[in-house]
Amino acid sequence: MTAVIRELDNVRLADSLHTMMGGMGEFFADEATVIDLTQLSSAPDRVDWAGLGSLLRRYGLQPVALKGTPEHLVESARKAGLAVLGDGAARVSAADKTAPAPAAAEPAKVEPVAAPAQAAATMIIERPIRSGQQIYARGGDLVILGGVSNGAEVIADGSIHCYGPLRGRALAGAQGDTRARLLCTNFGPELVSIAGVYRTFERGVPENLAAKPAHAVLREAAGGKGGHTLNIEPLQLD
Amino acid sequence: MTRVVVVTSGKGGVGKTTTSASFATGLALRGFKTAVVDFDVGLRNLDLIMGCERRVVYDLVNVINGEANLHQALIKDKHCENLFVLPASQTRDKDALTEEGVEKVLKDLEHMGFEYIVCDSPAGIERGAVMALTFADDALVVTNPEVSSIRDSDRILGILQSKSRRAKEGREPVKEHLVITRYSAKRVDEGEMLSYKDVQELLRVPLIGVIPESETVLQASNQGSPVIHIKDSDAAEAYADVVARFLGEDAALRFVAYDKPGLLKRLFGGA
Repeated sequence: MTAVIRELDNVRLADSLHTMMGGMGEFFADEATVIDLTQLSSAPDRVDWAGLGSLLRRYGLQPVALKGTPEHLVESARKAGLAVLGDGAARVSAADKTAPAPAAAEPAKVEPVAAPAQAAATMIIERPIRSGQQIYARGGDLVILGGVSNGAEVIADGSIHCYGPLRGRALAGAQGDTRARLLCTNFGPELVSIAGVYRTFERGVPENLAAKPAHAVLREAAGGKGGHTLNIEPLQLD
Repeated sequence: MTRVVVVTSGKGGVGKTTTSASFATGLALRGFKTAVVDFDVGLRNLDLIMGCERRVVYDLVNVINGEANLHQALIKDKHCENLFVLPASQTRDKDALTEEGVEKVLKDLEHMGFEYIVCDSPAGIERGAVMALTFADDALVVTNPEVSSIRDSDRILGILQSKSRRAKEGREPVKEHLVITRYSAKRVDEGEMLSYKDVQELLRVPLIGVIPESETVLQASNQGSPVIHIKDSDAAEAYADVVARFLGEDAALRFVAYDKPGLLKRLFGGA
């Protein structure tokens, strides 16, 4: 993944990271990260790369490379063991910002390595997910065997399969995959979302679905204008 | 082998301290050398429930800071030979608890031959509560049959999963036990209260006991005597059952069924 940084002052960066993550460390699971400096507001003369690295690692990000590096910072960054990606990488469009990061390159290597188009592994969680916990299956499906409590949140870029009571929030297709689905054996969530189309249950879950097997799927909206509606349908298990 | 048992709940006022006092007393009455430690620094209550508030000289924070040793700080219970209370400090706040300090205190208690260390957690999910559960082997999760208490218990169960030493070191997880307190079988019967089955279904944790709502609990607290000592009271027997089940004995669930008073009883009163 790519971290777009507008600030190279470690203290202020630490503050804004803390605000952004709501004090939640360990959110990212040691992911290789490209630090994008193209939107830097002002480039300082010197940068504490080691400090920046340890700051990001505290949030589970593994910095491996830089892009859009100002000329005078290139050498110190290389010395700090960060790969400096060339102009080609600096012009990556906004749409690609979430593309997988290139594998950790040698500091000398300038060419970005495209990640292989390989399906991400399915994440399987065997324990119950408790109130206040958040699980994110990046790039793939999420299978939950223990259920999701009220106040918990499960997110997947692919589909979500839940084999225990689903009572928290469930967001499938978090990167916009409209083919993602939500399948569960005991339906009763606070919120369901697929590719950003969401539904809450202020007046309770409909009786034909409550605590029963159900699946949620996006269907083309009537009228064929490319819109989608979120359908939640009972699921026949046997 | 020392076992550290944390009594926790997330929500305040559900009966953590009452449970800590009676559970620790119950273990001591069974002959186990037991210490009960108050982690509610700044809002100490355990000493009141145990009736030893006038004997507090040193406290947990003094021991952590090296201002006193454990022998000076531990207060011997007035009823049980094997029971000792380590009070919290009333004049400090929870930042005085450090992970290293707490670990050392628990280690020292282990070296003194304590078989059970009961940690009475403060409410909330902040430092004090996290320190109380960090070194736990077992957790008694105290819950009232009421939705906000259930949700907070759920939250604390999540914290047990992520912040306990056992979880961090990838060892066998903390063993979780559900204690439902302030249970009124009558109100459950009338549909005003969640049943213990509902609570268990929502939390998915093995049930170790249901403590009935009882005036005896309040009386015992005010007298400074753990309710388990009050002979022939429902709450005392329910706590004795919790201790029995914790020690692996079979005990049928009591005080959960409501018998509607019959016509004669209603006409003539009666106990």
